[in-house]
Amino acid sequence: MTPDKLNSAIVTFMANLNIDESRANEAALVVSESIVHRSVKLLEVVVALKDHFLSENEIERKKALTCLSTVLTKTPNDHLSKNECSVIFQFYKSKFDDQALVKEVLEGFAALAPMKFVSINEITQLLRLLLDSYQQGQHLASTRLLPFKILKNIFDRFFTNASSMEQVKRINDLFIETFLHIANGEKDPRNLLLSFALNESITSKLQNVENFKEDLFDVLFCYFPITFKPPKHDPYKISNQDLKTALRSAITATPLFAEDAYSNLLDKLTASSPVVKNDTLLTLLECVRKFGGSSILANWKLLWNALKFEIIQNSEGTENTLLNPYNKHQSSDDMGQYTNYDACLRILNLMGLQLYDFEKVSFEKFFTHVLDELKPNFEYEKDLKQTCQILSAIGSGNIEIFNEVVSSTFPLFLTNTSEIAKLKLLIMNLSFFFDSYIDLFGRISKESLKSSVPNNKMAEYKDEIIMLLSMALTSSSKSEVTIRTLSVIQFTKMIRMKGFLSPEEVSLIIQYFTETILTDNNKNIYYACLEGLKTISEIYEDLVFEISLKKLLDLLPDSYGEKVRVNNEENIQIETILKIILDFTTSRHILVKESISYLATKLNRVAKVSKSKEYCFLLISTIYSLFNNNQNENVFKEEDALALKRAIEPKLLEIVTQESTIVDDNYNLTLLSNVLFFINFKVPQSMHQEELDRYNKHFLYEGEIGILDAPNILAIPYVKILSALNKACQFPQKLTILVEAAQLLKSHGPKMIETEKLGYLELLLVLSNKFVSEDDVIGLLDWEDLSHINLEIMVWLTKGLIMQNSLKSPDIIKNFIDLLSNQDIGPLVAKLFEVFVMDISSLKKFKGINWNNNVKILYKQKFFCDIFQMIVNNYKNTVDMTIKCNYLTALSLVLKHTSSQSVGPFINDLFPLLLQALDMPDSEVRVSALETLKDTTDKHHNLITEHISTIVPLLLSLVLLEKYNSVSVRFIALQILERITTVVPLNYCLSYQDDVLNGLIPVLSDKKRMIRKQCIDTRQVYYELGQIPFE
Amino acid sequence: MSEFLNENPDILEENQLPSRKEDNTKDLLLGGFSKEATLERRRLLLKIDHSLKSQVLQDIETLDKLLSIETAPEMTSDEESLLEETEEEFVAGQRKEEEEADVIDAQEIYDLIAHISDPEHPLSLGQLSVVNLEDIEVHDSGNQEEMAEVVIRITPTITHCSLATLIGLGIRVRLERSLPPRFRITILLKKGTHDSENQVNKQLNDKERVAAACENEQLLGVVSKMLVTCK
Repeated sequence: MTPDKLNSAIVTFMANLNIDESRANEAALVVSESIVHRSVKLLEVVVALKDHFLSENEIERKKALTCLSTVLTKTPNDHLSKNECSVIFQFYKSKFDDQALVKEVLEGFAALAPMKFVSINEITQLLRLLLDSYQQGQHLASTRLLPFKILKNIFDRFFTNASSMEQVKRINDLFIETFLHIANGEKDPRNLLLSFALNESITSKLQNVENFKEDLFDVLFCYFPITFKPPKHDPYKISNQDLKTALRSAITATPLFAEDAYSNLLDKLTASSPVVKNDTLLTLLECVRKFGGSSILANWKLLWNALKFEIIQNSEGTENTLLNPYNKHQSSDDMGQYTNYDACLRILNLMGLQLYDFEKVSFEKFFTHVLDELKPNFEYEKDLKQTCQILSAIGSGNIEIFNEVVSSTFPLFLTNTSEIAKLKLLIMNLSFFFDSYIDLFGRISKESLKSSVPNNKMAEYKDEIIMLLSMALTSSSKSEVTIRTLSVIQFTKMIRMKGFLSPEEVSLIIQYFTETILTDNNKNIYYACLEGLKTISEIYEDLVFEISLKKLLDLLPDSYGEKVRVNNEENIQIETILKIILDFTTSRHILVKESISYLATKLNRVAKVSKSKEYCFLLISTIYSLFNNNQNENVFKEEDALALKRAIEPKLLEIVTQESTIVDDNYNLTLLSNVLFFINFKVPQSMHQEELDRYNKHFLYEGEIGILDAPNILAIPYVKILSALNKACQFPQKLTILVEAAQLLKSHGPKMIETEKLGYLELLLVLSNKFVSEDDVIGLLDWEDLSHINLEIMVWLTKGLIMQNSLKSPDIIKNFIDLLSNQDIGPLVAKLFEVFVMDISSLKKFKGINWNNNVKILYKQKFFCDIFQMIVNNYKNTVDMTIKCNYLTALSLVLKHTSSQSVGPFINDLFPLLLQALDMPDSEVRVSALETLKDTTDKHHNLITEHISTIVPLLLSLVLLEKYNSVSVRFIALQILERITTVVPLNYCLSYQDDVLNGLIPVLSDKKRMIRKQCIDTRQVYYELGQIPFE
Repeated sequence: MSEFLNENPDILEENQLPSRKEDNTKDLLLGGFSKEATLERRRLLLKIDHSLKSQVLQDIETLDKLLSIETAPEMTSDEESLLEETEEEFVAGQRKEEEEADVIDAQEIYDLIAHISDPEHPLSLGQLSVVNLEDIEVHDSGNQEEMAEVVIRITPTITHCSLATLIGLGIRVRLERSLPPRFRITILLKKGTHDSENQVNKQLNDKERVAAACENEQLLGVVSKMLVTCK
């Protein structure tokens, strides 16, 4: 590099400094690279800058020095020779006197400090210089940062590796003194972070710390408790938590601080602010964790007294939190999540453990003291909860501590009592020791079932505890809900305790739970038992099956009228048993499977008893729900489905075809057909073809059924089974069946039973959706024949196409929309529009399965988009009221099944139609329009406000007892009136206050209580409009 | 005498208040079903799965819906015949609904007023047993043309309770807003529960005074605050 080039680089740098940092940087890089390549010497750079250094202009001097420092920063640490280092070092040192240049000089030192050939002598000089001549109070935060950086660099260079030990000794004390000097009075968060880190490094790595421990501690603790609110757009992204953690970790870095830390922290604990308290407690916790046993030994009395005060004074949670413990148990070990109360307990726990590890004798001393102080609480039943929490917290330290705690505490309170209040307290207190057991030995899981837990004292009390709890559950009166619930919850907790209960004891508990859930009507107890049974089934599914489920199933009688008895006293409803089965088997593989299998067998027997339709209905609904609620792959595997199919399908098919209790009951037949759907849906796909052929023979060709020969209600099970099978199956007869079914409908349609007809129509739908090609389906549509039955046939065929988002469906729909204007059949077609968008459960999409049908998830949205504009236009172009009515009916029936999100974009066009639909002489249309209006009220406040003058009178006419104002219409209209007040501005609402209040007076004498109730609520809202709140 | 006192009332939990025993499933289903059998089935279903979203229930609804579309009597486009039909059907419908009308009974009145907050406790009148189900009388023939009457006897917590009038006013405002105008509302102190029983009774049932009280913005504010907790 020529001197010219060097000069120009320097000039570029100085010109761009503070203006265009990237260009300045580039220039500096050019120079430093030249130095690395030895094409220019550092001294030449200094010489080139000489004029600038000597300038009268302060800014120019600053810039020049910045230039040099920047170049230095970019130069590798081992590049400069010893001589160069020395010269440059002295040069910087000489500039230190120039007050204007302090920052730049420090930058230079920061760059020099880590350099390999800067000697320990120079470092000593540097530290001295900082200690003697640097006045930290006179500089800005960014300047004050540099000394920290320098110290950090020095620390990293000398104190982190052992090789430089000898040299280090020379600067050890000086380093600490310098640090104390620069750290004094610092208040910038970024610098503080460095200061805390350095302090921690010093206390953990340097020697002689003991001589400086007070100063080092003071320079930390003066910040405690630290709070910092980051300004907006903080470039350093320092959070309050960063500072807290850094400070905490520095304070707890060395046991030398122990004495000061404990006394000062305990002092701060008396603070009233919970935030300060929390910070203090967490820091104390860290202290106990890190300072070790000896320091605790010296301070435990102080700590214990302070913590005891905290805990006894500030109990958290009431009986209620104990009764609903299930959401509380996920607390992780994350520090920030400890509440003050938890933190206190945690500290006590660690204290015990640390003392024990340090010296058993001192633990004994500590524990005896604690126990002696707490003993009277048991006697006077005072602060028992806190007392037990303290003891159990200490207990969860390790197994020996646990044993000692249990054997010295349990005799104090574990006594047989018949006093309900005492028993309740006893059970609640036990709970904490259970927690402590779980903390210590872990939770039970399927894997841990085999592994055992070391002998412990709690096990000795097991029988007594079980006896107490079972007494609380079984012999207290039913009205003692709290104690019974508590007992169930504690039993459940015991189940969770690893290696505590034997299978026999678990069985006993299962039996208690089963009897309780059957005989108790209280909701809390029901859910507690349910939760208990679920917990047990996670581990002991077999036991639950044997003891609980079998018993429940065996209780089911063969006929509805039979009385069910448990314990010779109760009269239990069949519905209750089924509800329990449904509730607790969920997601449990064996339980679900066995329940289905058993219930199906039972159904087979019940169906043959006459007049058992209701009972059959309940059983079928339960089986169906069991299938439906356990769709998850993990619960139902293919082999289970296969086993179930073999075991129960013949029994079900038998009653489906032969028993009048099923065949003659629409619900039973349809639901049982859906059960058949699930059975076949779940079997391995490789079997579908075989099954299809078999069913075709069974229902169509062989045997006595022949659903295509004459109308037969068994078309329903056939169509459900067909829906379940793979759409890729070979099905050569599909078109013939479609044509024949349509033919059958046309010839027998008007005479068929409605359910039968529906079965055939659904058959058309399934074939058109998953088997027959689009063109074949379209070929079957006969637009000339406007008979009702043909219209229905066409609607169902088209539905199959719409559900697969067929490209041809919009054209077909257009034909249907045209039919709406037909004077004769328009109203019927309007009604049929609902069919297009109704969900059929056997044609549902299941997660991750696409082989069962061609239904697209968003088909309804697409359909709505397709028809909306057409219908609106036709509506506008019509004058005939009855035709308009058809359009509105069709539209609102479709709306009823369309999600409100997809309606959103059309709302402005839709709104006027909606208001007119409210006038339609059809209660269903009104309900549908009102539902949409309700959604609109929530989402489009402006639109409602704009039309309030129309909406309110309209709604007031809908709440009256008139034809077409069904209960639902009146109810929703009242709800909307109430909701309007929350979305429409007060000044608009106020002008309708009297109208609404008066308009609703007749509704107060409505025949339906629920309408009256809603009316009262609505009126109340209007009474309170604009009222000044009283405080 | 002392047995009437309600000085240290046992505070009842919300769920211990007397309530309508019959299940609310009918309300859940929003009524409006023509077929009794359908309703019965749904009620059975709700007993085993108490949720309106269960697939079984939805399936049944779909089935009913589809069947009703198919059977729907053809809508006559002729408006006149529509009107004729209306008359008849409406009357029939009226009669039908008449049968399943829910009468206004003591429990309904109780539900209206039991949740009113006591002006000086954070508890409701029901919880404090200031109002009791057995102290409510309803005399109603059910005929819309005839007058009906509700008599409520309240039990103040102490015999010199100065807020008895305010409590009474709260109950009156609540009921006047909630009952059809044909109901006469009488609010009395239960015999022997208050030192100045007659005076208070007079004040509570004096139309003029009640009307005057309701004109007082501040008083109305207090009453509104009491009514906030009503369900």
